[in-house]
Amino acid sequence: MASQEHALHTAMDPNEEPVREPLILGNPTFRDVTARIGSIVEGKLQPKYLMTLGLTLTMAGLGMFALFYTITTGIGTWGLNNPVGWGWDITNFVFWIGIGHAGTLISAILFLFRQKWRTAINRSAEAMTLFAVICALTMVLSHTGRPWLFYWLLPYPNQMNMWVNFRSPLMWDVFAVNTYFTVSLLFWFVGLIPDLATLRNYVKGTIAKKVYAFFSLGWTGSTRHWHTYEIAYMILAGISTPLVLSVHSVVSFDFTVGILPGWHTTIFPPYFVAGAIFSGFAMVMTLLVIAREVLDLKQFITLKHMDNMNKIMLATGMMVGYAYAMEMFIAWYSGNAWERWIFINRAMGDYAWAYWTMVTCNVVSPQIFWFKKMRRSIPVMFVISIFVNIGMWFERFTIIATTLHHDFLPASWGYYTPTWVEISIFIGTFGVFLSLFLLFARFVPVIAIAEVKAIMPGAQPKHHHDHGNGHDHAHAHASVEGQKA
Amino acid sequence: MSLLMDVITNHSNDNSTQGKSMSDRTWQSLDHLAGDTLVKGEFDGIKEALTDSKVSRRGFMTIMSASMALTAAACRRPIQHLVPSTKSHQTAIPGMPIDYTSVYTQRNVAYGALVTSREGRPVRVKGNDKHGVNIGRASVEMQASLLSLYDPERLRRPRVRRGGGSTSYDNAVGKIAAAITDAQAAGKKAVAVINEHASPSYAQLLADMSAAIPAFSTVMMPAIIADGAAAANRAMLGVDAEIAPDLSKAKVVVCVDADPLGADKLSLYHTTRFSQMRSPSSGAPSMSTLIVAEAQYSLTGANSDVRHRLHPSQVEPYLAVLEAEIAGSGLGSDVMEQASAETQKNAKAAAAALKTAQGSAVVMTGRHLSARANGMAIAINNALGAIGAGKIIDPTHVIPNSGVRGEAIAQLVADLEADRVHALIFVDTNPEYTADRAFRSAMIKAPVRAAVNLYADETALVCDIDIPGSHWLESWGDAVAIDGTMSVQQPLIAPLNDGIGSTQDTLMNIGRKVDAALFADTASYYDYVVARWSSIGDWRTVLLDGAVAPTATETNSSASVNTSAGMALKGAKVESGMTVMTVPSLTLYDGYYGNNAWLLELSDPVTKVTWENLAMMSPATAEKMGLVGSREPKALARANGKIVSVSTSTGTLDLPLWIQPGMADDTIAVSLGFGHQAGGEVAMGKGESGYVLAGAMQTIGYQKAKNVAPSDKPQVRIASTQDHHTLDDGNGERPVVKELTIGDVAQNEYSTLGEHFPDAGKDGKYLQPLSIVQDYEYKGHRWGMVIDLSSCTGCSSCIIACQNENNIPVVGKKQVLTGREMAWIRLDRYYRGSMEDPTTIVEPMLCQHCENAPCENVCPVAATSHSPEGLNEMTYNRCVGTRYCLNNCPYKVRRFNFLAYNNDYSAPMELVFNPDVTVRSRGVMEKCTFCVQRLHHAKWQAHDAGRDRVMDGEVVTACQEACPAGAILFGDTNDPNSAVSKARQNERGFRVLSDLNVRPQVTYLAKVRNVEGSSAPHAGAEHH
Repeated sequence: MASQEHALHTAMDPNEEPVREPLILGNPTFRDVTARIGSIVEGKLQPKYLMTLGLTLTMAGLGMFALFYTITTGIGTWGLNNPVGWGWDITNFVFWIGIGHAGTLISAILFLFRQKWRTAINRSAEAMTLFAVICALTMVLSHTGRPWLFYWLLPYPNQMNMWVNFRSPLMWDVFAVNTYFTVSLLFWFVGLIPDLATLRNYVKGTIAKKVYAFFSLGWTGSTRHWHTYEIAYMILAGISTPLVLSVHSVVSFDFTVGILPGWHTTIFPPYFVAGAIFSGFAMVMTLLVIAREVLDLKQFITLKHMDNMNKIMLATGMMVGYAYAMEMFIAWYSGNAWERWIFINRAMGDYAWAYWTMVTCNVVSPQIFWFKKMRRSIPVMFVISIFVNIGMWFERFTIIATTLHHDFLPASWGYYTPTWVEISIFIGTFGVFLSLFLLFARFVPVIAIAEVKAIMPGAQPKHHHDHGNGHDHAHAHASVEGQKA
Repeated sequence: MSLLMDVITNHSNDNSTQGKSMSDRTWQSLDHLAGDTLVKGEFDGIKEALTDSKVSRRGFMTIMSASMALTAAACRRPIQHLVPSTKSHQTAIPGMPIDYTSVYTQRNVAYGALVTSREGRPVRVKGNDKHGVNIGRASVEMQASLLSLYDPERLRRPRVRRGGGSTSYDNAVGKIAAAITDAQAAGKKAVAVINEHASPSYAQLLADMSAAIPAFSTVMMPAIIADGAAAANRAMLGVDAEIAPDLSKAKVVVCVDADPLGADKLSLYHTTRFSQMRSPSSGAPSMSTLIVAEAQYSLTGANSDVRHRLHPSQVEPYLAVLEAEIAGSGLGSDVMEQASAETQKNAKAAAAALKTAQGSAVVMTGRHLSARANGMAIAINNALGAIGAGKIIDPTHVIPNSGVRGEAIAQLVADLEADRVHALIFVDTNPEYTADRAFRSAMIKAPVRAAVNLYADETALVCDIDIPGSHWLESWGDAVAIDGTMSVQQPLIAPLNDGIGSTQDTLMNIGRKVDAALFADTASYYDYVVARWSSIGDWRTVLLDGAVAPTATETNSSASVNTSAGMALKGAKVESGMTVMTVPSLTLYDGYYGNNAWLLELSDPVTKVTWENLAMMSPATAEKMGLVGSREPKALARANGKIVSVSTSTGTLDLPLWIQPGMADDTIAVSLGFGHQAGGEVAMGKGESGYVLAGAMQTIGYQKAKNVAPSDKPQVRIASTQDHHTLDDGNGERPVVKELTIGDVAQNEYSTLGEHFPDAGKDGKYLQPLSIVQDYEYKGHRWGMVIDLSSCTGCSSCIIACQNENNIPVVGKKQVLTGREMAWIRLDRYYRGSMEDPTTIVEPMLCQHCENAPCENVCPVAATSHSPEGLNEMTYNRCVGTRYCLNNCPYKVRRFNFLAYNNDYSAPMELVFNPDVTVRSRGVMEKCTFCVQRLHHAKWQAHDAGRDRVMDGEVVTACQEACPAGAILFGDTNDPNSAVSKARQNERGFRVLSDLNVRPQVTYLAKVRNVEGSSAPHAGAEHH
């Protein structure tokens, strides 16, 4: 086809008329795409894979052991104390919730804005969202003194005649995080249905076939299915969109509703949302750089995707940088002595090392993405994405620890250092996260097959490759299934 | 176990229909019980219970009541009736507390006590307000001694060492008696080494024994020997004792290395008197002036208006200058010339201040100072007109048995060395721990040694026989207080050790075995005391009131001061250069209750350190020794915990460094009372024993440092409950604690308190910002508290009162290091001024019961909520432990049970719990409740009396009840006539962090210092 040749031609010859860079390289056919993704699922389990999974499961096991120890012995196994009631627990909670945000943003907002480049990465980003929220839930459930009473945080009719306290931001958290998890799960699963059906048709093993058949919910690829599917997907995207903003805003309320200097600031909700997207993209980047190498998905996850994500990281990184600067400015400008002092202490006090780690990682390091060459350098973006992950973790730690350890009365001040238990739990959440991601990468289509096919040049026979609408979209899917049949 | 309950109430005729349960029977009379046919049927159960060595609470109750039945049936024990205090219920009501009067007489100081008993066990020690010395207040040690009663590590059975284990009581007593008989036969001595005490009956008992048994004699050997004051009094006033001045009569007090408000046996008495003079108002703007000249930074120094840092070598010259300025008798002429220019200047300033208050000025000197130094003080006080009947120093107000000790002890050492002593019986003393090397090496030369002590302590370990001693709450006795008030020590429980009677009963039993005629007609020490008291007053009335006021005829009004005799008194030459001071601990005093976890975990009021003692020195000294690089506060804080090796002529200790601002340079202070090597797991290995560094016959005082050097041992972390943070955070002084001068009070200058919002009207105290929510209207009671920072001395009595009342767990050093101490009320200590010479301000901090409480809205499960009476309530069983409330509390007064702190109580320790207060499990938050259990109790009482309101004064919180300074007031702020409402009108009132609009219900009255000038120019700059 002419357009395909055209695309290839552009890639080879930069002097041709400027056309958008293709989103999929190598000009595969629809069948190639199905085969490429399907082969990941069907291939034999490699020893390397099993070893990696073993390592991550060991990490998860360590975390589980530490959690068991915490629950049986008490929160006293952690380093928390009287001025510092929250430490790594809530830091990790906010960190993981933040990680999840990239998935939702890519799935929902980019979908609504018709950013087609999202198709290569949305599946794994959404999966990451779910896994990150699972980690966040683990942290928030285990951080209480009596975790076996977690259900008291749910509003349910009970013999105690006790209703939850709707004035508490922690209560809002319960709703926000649960909603987030539920919607993200549904959104991810609904998006998976056509691909699961494709796999059902593709795989040869009987058990696998049955499992995929079960989860594809009898998908036939009929127009009616596609029609309903598209509407459901659109609605879920619509529901998810406000969640991108609301969940982390609500999480930030945990701090802003408090009266402590350093917490009680109005800048937190937008600042937290920007930070969440920032950290989420960094985590997606870290994982995709690996996945694209290991699973050989360079064809689908191209440098253009990476470039776009790096641009988003640069933008959100500067937003958080602006927030850091604005916090400092307002602390000075407000004339509030408590506020002023806490920010001086943040930058120069006992936890100054954490603050400057955060600034270096989050504000300074992404500046390198002003250069296109750097945006497209895999080693650079890998390192920077890890820096950003570290920096964003420290951001939450700085907010929590610096505010709590020195607040109003100097006589009550203290210092907080984590114990091996908290560190193990954090490692454990990474273990859980990575294990789930590895299982996902092996058994679930890591690339949204149907959506990728829809943006392939051949999917829009009536138009140029860079435009499309829902109707054509549906057509394309139909034709994919048709080919198979 | 046979815990024979032979002390019971006297309501034999009150044949009431009280409960039928076993525990209730405890309260019925023996007469009643003896006739009770139920008794016999119960013996089988008792046998089972007796074989059970672990005593549960229920089991304990059962055994107590059953034992009583046994006693009744067998008629082996005499009946000893207890009498409840007049204010208490006179009949036993199940579930209701009964107060009994008693007297707390540890060492030779007596304080009136009121002991609350619940179901047969004492659960709280309070002050008896009918006792003139402590007027209803209680000291730290007095209250904490309750925990030692139930200490599972106490010695329970008599033991024989050198190849022996447990033995029978009769055998142990027989062995001691045999040793006395042997001594008698051999023409040698048998000496009882007893602790100082205030009991006339005990003294009489020992005198009776000495009279009947010629070989038997007693030597009084307290843990802390310091004879300077007694020697001077003996020579110049003819009183061989220490005299207690009355600070409530003093307008100017100069303390020369004396610590009357801190490490002093009489600190409770002094604090009650001193604080009366420290709470001025604009209506009555007068207060006393406290000038302190000292080497260490004592609690008295922390409360001073003016403080002079003196190197120990300058103490006597300082006194000499004072003496020359005021008395001019020449007592100090030989040391005058040693006074440095600064000492001269300071002493002259102090002298000028003293002279302004002729007749109401006093100089106090530490009893560890030389006899000459104390003599100089007598001369000064005499010249100031402070000595005489009814004056500040009334020579009849003596501490009983506080005469010169050194001579008798030296004689005993000589006798021991000359092999003239066959048997030593240590009664309530632990010289192996406290005494100097000469005594310790002499005492093991006695062929037979026995101990009658509470614990298998250091001394017991070098004895052949030990017999359990009794706790004061287990034994009858009596005591005379410094003002002559007589009280009976009424036990609340039978001794908790294998049926062995009190220490005095043991002595009587020994006496009986030596001489059968001795005490033949006296069945027990109880009968002995009763018989002695028949001439003093009506027994029952004494027990009802707890105190017999001194009769006026005893007063010797003619006090003549023999100044010339002072010339013969010896001075003590203290060289300049590095000097070691051994001082009593502010928490443990001499370490008698060294195994008491409440005392060990109580943070020292000055250093805020728990669980250990330290080598305290000034920043400059630490720098000089190369322990710190600079005098930056951070560098100083980092140096704390480095190990310093300190040697005196008597020994060497490796102690953690503690940089104490305000100490004199070239001085190292070491607290006594720590570092036990025996006598309980709690006591052992906590800190180091300062006695090692102490001088011979001079346990407290100055020792030339032989060597002080940094040790190469690794630095340790010190469990301090408060870090080195000052009010000035580099951004101005934090307006969290406020201070005024007397000038401000006199001139109505209260602007620095900053209690006005910018838009406040003329009467706009506590104007509240606009709110969209309508304020709750408190129609009934509304509880509030007022704390007067000016009278608070920081003695920490409130902390122990709260710990006892509210079942607050001890968490241990490791947890304190992590910052998890559980105290509901803490004393925030802030330094002002330079590191070298700071002033201190203490701010008791507890839940402020904010009306607009930030903790309440953040709890997701509504476990903390507001009561209709203005209390911020904590519902433990609803709490899931998110700790959000703790984070959001601006006062950080919430305490989280990070671990199960209440799980490892071994019997009978759990008996100490207050049954009215829940014992919290792990994972829940807790905090001050304003003693809500007492509020409810008072409300029920009011309801029963047909009232719908509690009257003012009917409810007191535990901290208020104990506070020796009377600095805490609690009550209904809705009642305009209540004491707390009136106190809230005080112009000095401010609320901590009021600008946060959390609306705390605790009002603080700003501290007032009796100094020149105004606090206005420099304070409050940061406030808006």
